[in-house]
Amino acid sequence: MMKKNTDNRIRKTGMGAKASRRLGNTVVYVILVLITLVWLFPFFGIVLESFRVESRMQQSYLWPKEFGFDNYIRLFNETDFMQWFKNTAIMGVATAVLQTFFVLSMSYVLSRLRFKGRKGLMNLMLILGMFPGFLTMILIYKVFTDLGLTMDMAPVGLIIVYCASSGMSYYVSKGFFDTIPKSLDEAARVDGATRWQVFYKVIMPLSKPIVIYTILMGFMAPWGDFMLASYLIHENSAGMNVAVGVFEWLSKTMVNSNYTMFCAAGVIVALPVTLVFLMLQKYYVEGVTGGAVKG
Amino acid sequence: MATVKLTNVKKIYGKDTVAVQDFNLDIADKEFIVFVGPSGCGKSTTLRMIAGLEDISEGTVEIDGVVVNDLQPRDRNIAMVFQNYALYPHLTVFENMAFSLRLKKVPQDEVYERVTAAAEILGITEYLTRKPRALSGGQRQRVAIGRAMVRDSKVFLMDEPLSNLDAKLRNQMRAEIILLRQKIDTTFIYVTHDQTEAMTLGDRIVIMKDGFIQQVGTPTEVFDMPINLFVAEFIGAPKMNTFKTNLICENGKYYVTPYGAKIEVTGKKGALLAEKGIQGGEILLGVRPEHMTLSTKDDPAAIPCKITVNEMMGSELHLHVVEDNGDQLIVRIPTVTLEDEQRKSLVFGNTIYVTFEGKVMHFFDAETEQNLLV
Amino acid sequence: MKRLNDLEYLKLNKLQVLLYNLKLFFCATLPQFFKNIGLSILNFFKNCGLWVKNEVVDIVTTFTKGNWAVKLSFLFFGFGNFYYGQILRGILFLVFEIIFVGYMLVPSGGLYWLAKSNFLKTGSTVGTVQGRLQYDALYDTDVWVPGDDSVKVLLYALLTIIFIIAFIYTWRLQIKQCRICMDITAKGKKVRSGKDDMRSLLDDQFHKTLLSLPLFGIMAFTVLPIIYMVLIAFTSYDAAHDGYSNLFSWVGLEHFNELMDFGQGGLGLAFGEILSWTLMWAFFATFSNYFLGMFVAIMINKKGIKIKKFWRTVLVMTIAIPQFVSLLYVAKLFDATGIIGKLLLEWNWLPQSMIEANELSLWQNPVSAKILLIVINIWVGIPYIMLMATGILMNIPQDLYESSRIDGANAFQQYSKITLPYMMFVMGPYLLTSFVSNLNNFNVIYLLTQNNQLINTEIGTAGGVSVCHTDLLITWLYKMTLNSAESKYYLASLVGILVFVVVAALSLIVYNVIPSTRNEEDYG
Repeated sequence: MMKKNTDNRIRKTGMGAKASRRLGNTVVYVILVLITLVWLFPFFGIVLESFRVESRMQQSYLWPKEFGFDNYIRLFNETDFMQWFKNTAIMGVATAVLQTFFVLSMSYVLSRLRFKGRKGLMNLMLILGMFPGFLTMILIYKVFTDLGLTMDMAPVGLIIVYCASSGMSYYVSKGFFDTIPKSLDEAARVDGATRWQVFYKVIMPLSKPIVIYTILMGFMAPWGDFMLASYLIHENSAGMNVAVGVFEWLSKTMVNSNYTMFCAAGVIVALPVTLVFLMLQKYYVEGVTGGAVKG
Repeated sequence: MATVKLTNVKKIYGKDTVAVQDFNLDIADKEFIVFVGPSGCGKSTTLRMIAGLEDISEGTVEIDGVVVNDLQPRDRNIAMVFQNYALYPHLTVFENMAFSLRLKKVPQDEVYERVTAAAEILGITEYLTRKPRALSGGQRQRVAIGRAMVRDSKVFLMDEPLSNLDAKLRNQMRAEIILLRQKIDTTFIYVTHDQTEAMTLGDRIVIMKDGFIQQVGTPTEVFDMPINLFVAEFIGAPKMNTFKTNLICENGKYYVTPYGAKIEVTGKKGALLAEKGIQGGEILLGVRPEHMTLSTKDDPAAIPCKITVNEMMGSELHLHVVEDNGDQLIVRIPTVTLEDEQRKSLVFGNTIYVTFEGKVMHFFDAETEQNLLV
Repeated sequence: MKRLNDLEYLKLNKLQVLLYNLKLFFCATLPQFFKNIGLSILNFFKNCGLWVKNEVVDIVTTFTKGNWAVKLSFLFFGFGNFYYGQILRGILFLVFEIIFVGYMLVPSGGLYWLAKSNFLKTGSTVGTVQGRLQYDALYDTDVWVPGDDSVKVLLYALLTIIFIIAFIYTWRLQIKQCRICMDITAKGKKVRSGKDDMRSLLDDQFHKTLLSLPLFGIMAFTVLPIIYMVLIAFTSYDAAHDGYSNLFSWVGLEHFNELMDFGQGGLGLAFGEILSWTLMWAFFATFSNYFLGMFVAIMINKKGIKIKKFWRTVLVMTIAIPQFVSLLYVAKLFDATGIIGKLLLEWNWLPQSMIEANELSLWQNPVSAKILLIVINIWVGIPYIMLMATGILMNIPQDLYESSRIDGANAFQQYSKITLPYMMFVMGPYLLTSFVSNLNNFNVIYLLTQNNQLINTEIGTAGGVSVCHTDLLITWLYKMTLNSAESKYYLASLVGILVFVVVAALSLIVYNVIPSTRNEEDYG
């Protein structure tokens, strides 16, 4: 009895199914458009406000009454922004190179090689990761001050800080290496390769996506870092990165004369990073999804 | 071209998971040895220990008289073909095959010569510039074999090389491996779970179960004289029928009495039983399906059964029948021997009478399951 | 409790299943979990005892069985190696010993620093010579005569201790190698030469080559500072006792008492309050992102939706833009003078109670500020989850959907019976890590609230900083070390240890209880 009913309904709504799907899709489109607006609003806002000429303060309207490059001119002429930008760019490149080396070494070893203490090492890193990492900066700051690696020389110190412990974030790339069949290594070893030759003749050529992902992550880290950088550079100095430098402008005392300039700085910082990122988006997506699936 | 000798080889994983137990085997030069057994029996592990991909927990492996336990795979001069081919996806077929030669820094002319020669034999010359991705399963398998061929290795190891292929291709490749073997004259060790491959390819077969060697012998030996029930059931398809029954000795003649029938043991088997001085008693009787024949009701040696399944294989018929006690038996009958009328009567539910001759029986101890005649 | 067998379990209806599982969890799984922990601790000590026994036996037999060279290497490193022809290793061992002995004995070497640090001696200062002002006739003024710097003294003492441990380990290592050489030569085989050693660093010992630099980095920049930080919790290191102008001293467990202070400004009160908001934050931040992100991913991946790539790219852009730019800007948007904040005011969308209390933006009320943080975090976090979920959605075998459609499932049933369980399974471990990283989500909280501080008057000042309603443990710690005049480093260390304990305990429990870490093969 029940069965008959459902059968009838299906037949009756045979035409309606399409219509209801169209309705569903329309609803989805509406939501997606709304999401797009919400997500893009701050970016349009920041770009628009960076061209505001009539006021340097925060205003409660979006559209500038007068457009101009005043904020950008001020940014380059009256502040050390260019210096900060250069610092951050140097840090980005150096971190990308060093960190890639550290992370890939660590994850390759943990994924492919079996040795005594491997499990212990992974557990150790898991446990270390549970400590609030920046407390290490208390000691590091002190030591770096003695070595002269803070303030003006802070970029060097920061590169060391970013890279030294980066072996601990091996998870994503290990997940990737784990998906390359083990028998490839074995075949190569039977063919006469040493472990080192397996690494650079077989595994590396197959790991382009994850190499690019790791480089990308390394390059982006210094641009967004505020916490660690603020330990090594706190007063106005030539060694600042953009985050620490620009952050000051929004403090209660300075915000009224610097708000629009902050927006201009934000646009300048966001442009190169976003461009690089969108270009390499494919690899980023691969890294993120791969990492999630492998846990 | 080398001998391989395994002495008391043992593999233990972790603390006490034993994968291979006391493995002793002498492999002669240019011999084709097949390790066969159900999955988890330790056959692949043994092969990988010979290759150097697994540590050897105890015992020694010698290649050409040299103990290789502590040598890296690359120092053992072996070639290996993997189950999933293990082709380097980023290299062309040519470079895949040349990989080992490149590592040895062989000059380009020689690399070219050796790779093209191997490709010629395997019929993959036209694919040399392609990447593995663009090849079919059978072609990939050939490349994997070719990669192993280009090296002048002492031992040629193959780890279930055909199990990823479909049935038709597998038969074809099996034949090609037999041909190949005549062309590359070296020692082969071949691992498979398929008894047909083992029987057709091997000079000698090593049958393994739960880490132990059950029997080592030529295909004929293991088929005709299985050392125990496991080997008897593993070799041959469909598998051997077994009956729990009594062996009776009367006036120097032996009889078995499966399900009320009485069948005399004749031929060599009878003589052997007498020679061993076996008294009789409860045994396990084994008869291969192809040795069972149809009989009639009035035959004293006939066992009445009901047909449950009739499998028409073309050249032969596999009948699954069930005896009155509920025991399942399989009977294999060549179709040419059947009249049309008789064939039509072999359907579900019908009663038939089966029997077997006295010279085809295998006798196993009811408890130890060892062959009584070995 | 009585456990049901499979068939009995299958007979239960949904409610009974739920009750049974709850009961099972509290009566069996949890107690079992704690029992296991206890057992593994017990086992650990047992194994330790066994290990020590084996080591001692092995060392003694090596000494009694060994020849003169082996016996000599108990005192002088590497002689055993020399005897058996391992020149390279022998030299390395010997050089290590010479460096160690030299370092310990030179005038301002290891022993000197160890003595100076009064290591862990409660009541004594770290360092012995206090710097002071002294009259200098040349300049006719008081000049600073530096004494010890406690920070440095403690660091050198710690390094010395690590060096000593390394020394003992090396001593044991070379004795072990003597033993191995003895065994190998007894069997008539050849021991590994220096050339073999070098070669194996690119082959069977390749992990040592690759790991050396990353591990050194981790040891020097994470492990060492963490040990140092833990030690700091037992000292009086703060701005008043900065080690240079004023030595700090070992105080033992004194500070741990402060944790018991639940009065105003008390550490116990502050910790409890902040911890509860931190946990709440991590919970909401993780799960709101998870479900909404998944929802967005499913919408974008819906059949018939066009320009999928465009929708995804829009969201992904938020990841690309450095957080300090986007978060600082968004925080300003919600100010009373900001574009959105102003609109809320004009349209009278703020609750009356807030207006009366003169709280003119969402940032000025504890409840609304917290909600706003979670909402903005959704804006930040959805793109990540969306990407991940997209990857997983594509991995779900299509035939599952096809067969469920034949079985008569509608779209919603497909979602709840196939998509959701699959996602839950695959992303289980990710949820845990994401929860932990939200506990320590510095960027979002600090950048959004630093310019809109909302002081929690109930707590007031704790650890030398004013505590905000929206502070997480990590931002509190950060301010303690950096934004405070008192810089109570010892308190920061103490709280840091507590944070570790909380995070470790949570992870341990969750890892042992969530299903996907246990049934790894289910979805194979």
